Amino acid sequence: METYESIKVWKDANISSFLADNVSLNTFHDQVMLKVLEVAKENMEEREVPCSFTWFITGSGGRLEQGLISDQDHGIIYEQSTPENDLYFKVLGEELSRGLDIAGYPYCTGYIMSSNPVWCKSYNDWKKQISKWMEDESWESIRYLQIFYDARVLYGKEDCIKQLKTDIHQYQKEHPLLLGRFMANVKHVKNAIGPMGQILVEQHGKYQGSINLKYVAFLPYVNSIRLLSIKEGLCETATLERMKELQKIAEYEGLLKSSYGNFSALMNYRLTLLHVNEYDDTHYLNVKDLTREQRKEIKGILKGGKKLHDAVIELVSDNE
Amino acid sequence: MEAVVVLMDNLWVAIGAILVFFMLGGFILLEAGSTRMKNAGHVAGKTIFTAGLGTLVFWAVGYGFIYGDGNPFIGLSNFFYGDTTTAEEAGGLTPAVDFSFQVMFALISLTVAFGGFAERAKLSVYVIFAILFSAFIYPVVAHWIWGGGWLAEHGKQDFAGSTVVHLTGAMAALAATMILKPRIGKYNKDGSSNVLAGHNQVYTTLGVLVLWVGWFGFNGASTFGVADGFLGYVILNTQLAAGAGAVAAMFTAWVKTGKADVPSTLNGALAGLVAITASCGFVAPWAAVVIGLIGGVMMVFSMQFFEKLKLDDPIAALSVHGTVGVWGTLSNGLFALPALSTDIDWGQAGLFYGGGWEQLGVQTLGVVAAGAYAFVVSFVILKIMDKVMGGLRVTEEEEIMGLDMSEHGSYGYPEQMALEEAKLATAATKEKFS
Repeated sequence: METYESIKVWKDANISSFLADNVSLNTFHDQVMLKVLEVAKENMEEREVPCSFTWFITGSGGRLEQGLISDQDHGIIYEQSTPENDLYFKVLGEELSRGLDIAGYPYCTGYIMSSNPVWCKSYNDWKKQISKWMEDESWESIRYLQIFYDARVLYGKEDCIKQLKTDIHQYQKEHPLLLGRFMANVKHVKNAIGPMGQILVEQHGKYQGSINLKYVAFLPYVNSIRLLSIKEGLCETATLERMKELQKIAEYEGLLKSSYGNFSALMNYRLTLLHVNEYDDTHYLNVKDLTREQRKEIKGILKGGKKLHDAVIELVSDNE
Repeated sequence: MEAVVVLMDNLWVAIGAILVFFMLGGFILLEAGSTRMKNAGHVAGKTIFTAGLGTLVFWAVGYGFIYGDGNPFIGLSNFFYGDTTTAEEAGGLTPAVDFSFQVMFALISLTVAFGGFAERAKLSVYVIFAILFSAFIYPVVAHWIWGGGWLAEHGKQDFAGSTVVHLTGAMAALAATMILKPRIGKYNKDGSSNVLAGHNQVYTTLGVLVLWVGWFGFNGASTFGVADGFLGYVILNTQLAAGAGAVAAMFTAWVKTGKADVPSTLNGALAGLVAITASCGFVAPWAAVVIGLIGGVMMVFSMQFFEKLKLDDPIAALSVHGTVGVWGTLSNGLFALPALSTDIDWGQAGLFYGGGWEQLGVQTLGVVAAGAYAFVVSFVILKIMDKVMGGLRVTEEEEIMGLDMSEHGSYGYPEQMALEEAKLATAATKEKFS
């Protein structure tokens, strides 16, 4: 019988065959997590699932952008709230988080996990929660909404997620100020290029001499593209897919011209250049290990990210 | 009129002495702010203790070694200083005023040296080294340059002590840093370094401001008089260089790392002050700006350099007082005005004023000789102490618990540290039973 431990062994033995490209790596991660779900369900005292449910992953997993090692970000939407159902999914959520941790997906430090009641609710309660988040407009609720917008169904029906995202899009159309709040939430970008045109690296610590890809390279692309996706009501979650869809809109054609190439190159960098032992390692790229051409390319990616980010911020500000 | 001028000279130098002594307040804030909470009481408190001890040693032998009659290497009279000559009798500064001013400089140099000991040396090491430094290291260098020793005869210019006070202190700090080795947690196994951030940037900032104000006495009263108002010129140069140092360091840090780092800015102001200390009475105001700017830039690169060499320097004493102390001294050889050097028989004009390479050569020799003496003697003394005292450093356990507790028995921040202790105890228990 499969256990979380055996899944981890299987994962570690096979993951190296899926490093050729990001899609296969992420499909493999999906497979692993679905196995964890099966074991979690088996481990439940109640053998029968009391009602239908959707299990989604979000964050980099939701966007199909997981590296070799990834932390867990996920949630559950179940059909109906009854005391029995609430209890069942609470326990299942906890079991899932535990199982993922054992299988090699460390706990999410921001508690975006099915074991957190905020991320494990019936459909109606999710609907209420999302309206509350939108009305609330606090820094945290805006952050939650953006995280939710990257949600991708791993198990169960997709309709409910689609509907909830449509709700966000609709609300945003009626309340254009919301987009401004989304923007404010992701406005800060860590400087990646110094005043002399040099790549700014970590000055101290374990990653001295490295750049933090997550903050200086990925986030400017991911955040600005998500912002446009919310504005346009896209259902795609992967940044590259979102870019493809957005490019179809004339307004963004010029803006996104080099972004697609930049972002794919960035994903490949992370995939090929890192010797990772733990989750944090997947974020750091040592500049010393790069050739002159690679440095030039990375610089182009960093500059492109900042440019895109600034342009999107300006565009959203103009529309406010 | 003449009597009034003499009294005013005395008053100004006495005020200078008070201002320089108050710089210790600046060092207390600067050092305590730049180090961690668990050592704050120790870092602050030891400064008062070593100031007391240093004063007694300087009174007993230090002053005599500098200004006593002797040979070009050392003075050998005026021990246990007690000259009570009045201003009227002396026809100028009373020896007691002069002594008061001089002792403060020795204490500043000693405090700079102890920057290199921070957060890991035993209290007993401070006691012994304070005695030996105040007797055999600082006075010898001061005698060479200010006490009529061989470098003074050579024409060495060091208006208020870039070499005598700052470089000497920094060389002792360098020796200590090398022997003591880095603090626990400063470097990782792969050679990368960590930031052991100081616990209070506001203290550090206020410390710098206090030092800056005190420096007006340090440099300004080194005129030893008020008659022609030259002190104003010296203060002007001091202020310009300090400002330039702060601006240059902040800009350099920003260009290098993309962040306008606060500690760099603060150390930049100090670098400007250290740099202008030698030349404040010799150069034009525009040159003071240049000297300060270069000092500020050098300080940032110097800090990075020492960090790469794995010399853990919590207070940046090596860079601010050492590297920049050297620069300050050499800058005379470049910028000294003829009117303030050749014309008053105090060395030669700088390279940029037709003085040729001579003064630069004299300054270089002075820096090398004084620096080498201070470093070698400090190193030897500390090595012997290391052997005799069974190590200069507190135990690993004591370093982790903090020197407030290990050396003095109480924390500078009792409430906060009690919480930390509770956390540590829980972690230790968990480890034991897991």
